[in-house]
Amino acid sequence: MSLFTRPTSFVLPILLTVTLSGCSVMRSYDDELKQTLALVEKGQIDQALTQHETNNTGGDFDLLYYLEKGELLRLKSLYKDSAGAWLLADQKVNEWENEAKIRAGAILENVGAVLLNDKTRRYDGHDYEKVMLSTRLALDHLLTGDWNAARTEIKKTHEREAIIAEINAKDTEALEKESEEKGITTTFKDLNGYPVETLNSPEVTTLKNGYQSAFSHYLAGFVYEALNEPSLASPGYRQAIELRPDIKILEDGLAALESRPSLRKPSETDVLFVVESGVAPALSSITIPVPVIVSNLGVIPISFPVLHSDPSHTLQPVTVGIDGNNTLPLAGVTSLDTMSKRALRDDMPGIIVRGILRAAAKTMSQKALMDQGGGAAIAGIALNIANVITESADERTWRTLPATISIARMTLPSGKHDITIGSSKQSIDIQGSHAVVVTRLLGNQTYWSQPAYGPQMPVYTAPAIAQPTKNIAGSATKKKSLKSKKKKLKKPVHQAQG
Amino acid sequence: MYNHSNALKATAIALLLSGCATQSPTLSSGNVEYGDSKAVETLTNEFGSTDLQTIAESMASSLLQSPALFAKKRPLVTVAEVKNRTSEYIDTKSITDSIRTKILKSGMVRFAVDTSAMQTQVDELTRQNQTGLYKKSKSKKMGQMEGADFRIEGTITSIVKRADDVKDVYYKFSLQLVDIESGTMEWADEKEIRKTSNKSMF
Repeated sequence: MSLFTRPTSFVLPILLTVTLSGCSVMRSYDDELKQTLALVEKGQIDQALTQHETNNTGGDFDLLYYLEKGELLRLKSLYKDSAGAWLLADQKVNEWENEAKIRAGAILENVGAVLLNDKTRRYDGHDYEKVMLSTRLALDHLLTGDWNAARTEIKKTHEREAIIAEINAKDTEALEKESEEKGITTTFKDLNGYPVETLNSPEVTTLKNGYQSAFSHYLAGFVYEALNEPSLASPGYRQAIELRPDIKILEDGLAALESRPSLRKPSETDVLFVVESGVAPALSSITIPVPVIVSNLGVIPISFPVLHSDPSHTLQPVTVGIDGNNTLPLAGVTSLDTMSKRALRDDMPGIIVRGILRAAAKTMSQKALMDQGGGAAIAGIALNIANVITESADERTWRTLPATISIARMTLPSGKHDITIGSSKQSIDIQGSHAVVVTRLLGNQTYWSQPAYGPQMPVYTAPAIAQPTKNIAGSATKKKSLKSKKKKLKKPVHQAQG
Repeated sequence: MYNHSNALKATAIALLLSGCATQSPTLSSGNVEYGDSKAVETLTNEFGSTDLQTIAESMASSLLQSPALFAKKRPLVTVAEVKNRTSEYIDTKSITDSIRTKILKSGMVRFAVDTSAMQTQVDELTRQNQTGLYKKSKSKKMGQMEGADFRIEGTITSIVKRADDVKDVYYKFSLQLVDIESGTMEWADEKEIRKTSNKSMF
């Protein structure tokens, strides 16, 4: 067949290669974020934000752009701007939710990913990222003192978890059916050269799933408790315990739920210290020859994503110091490192099936061109080159998320306190009935937050201004007895054990 | 002829009235519809609107038959917490709010503010009495609140079991009426709900 009679068969693959070289298929997300995170590790947040904008041009920003931007703005203590960016990300997740409910079970129906690679798929975010988005939005609202907005985000977290569970169940069922029909039995354990141990460690396999975090549910419990909704706080604490059993601070959250309000005085604040360390793992691509049973195409190299734990190597602190005389142990309740590994482990069957179908489609089209000979054969060679260039696993993942989240909780007299985490010390003004103090450690940097005033828990007494004289004398006696009581309550109400 | 004239008048009035009646315009993309709020919802086997309505209906009608409530004339009742012993985020206040509304509508009892509304109550009294903004003769006095005769409290528990293809959820909602002065339990009832779903639902 003449080259001139079928020009498209020749031009198309080359055009494809040239076009793709400038788009997402050629983008190395890991390289982009390495630069941004290096700046964050040096404390240069403004430069990191500029770098982030330089990496993302064109105006039509995806979910990942807003996720990373929200985190960078949060580190800069611009909580409202951060919430603004994350709410735009949230809109994109909402779009995904609405679409996913309809297309649940159609896991392989993405033509782009089948023909090119997973990078060409619209970035919908990993499931744990969608859940973390609501949790982090809640933290932003708490840091601006808007506890009701935080409650809305927390409610969204559990609704989102339910949607993810439903969609995952349907997708898994569809994938099992598709694999059976196509005779694909390959699992990640069969990939010769793949670092199986990253996805097969006990901490990864014992996780209930890859998207529910004990921290998100404990925070839900804390916020509902602060808003005087114990019937909603208890499932929060209970689910946190179910997700991470045998952690004392989580157990104490539930056990003392009923007694806590009566123990805390109006002049005291129930403080939740949230210490986030490092960055979420990076994804890179590894190419492994895989036998493609579909159409008996032999062994074809296919790319797969590999996770690399916290490249920043940030140390995880184990204590929080308060006013130089109290040391609270920090309990590591959530590891996004482990969660992302569990998420990848759960995603691997889909990645493998898509990879094999993609390899089969590419090889068959290339073979068809080569068989025609002449100009078509040249097109076949061009297509082969394009295939080699474009075959790369999806490296996109929310990188500015922390690697681990630890918590400690203590009831403190409201007012200024010197808080020490690692080698960094900060004076924090704590007010209201409840407060959340969030600290992020990245490289050698410590990013502190100054919490806004927490909600006021009900105090069922009117101010003593209009009291008759005899009552004032009475209140003085009461004050005295309160003072002696306060002495007894100096010790921490809740302490975590690592 | 007389009858004919009346008929004409009636027709004319009807026409005039129909001309006066304005119909609200509808703005719709065609993708959103209003549904029946009482429709049985079985989308998932988590606690849902039908469960809330069933519990509220059952408990309110049972409570209204309690002899304890008839012993006093329009007794004063307060709603304490319904403890959530499940792992689900069930807003039990929403359930007790529905029960309270149904009982209030009967006119047999009165309700005192519960703990969740107490702060608003105190704030209002404080504003009226201590800000200097209100006439003393017109402001509601402090120290005049009435203590409730009865307290409603309860629990919701669940047992969740999963087999290969089936998820079974059993809810038990227990409610009780306690005489605050004597500490005696005057009424109690339970509502049980069982929901079973197959694999594609969980």
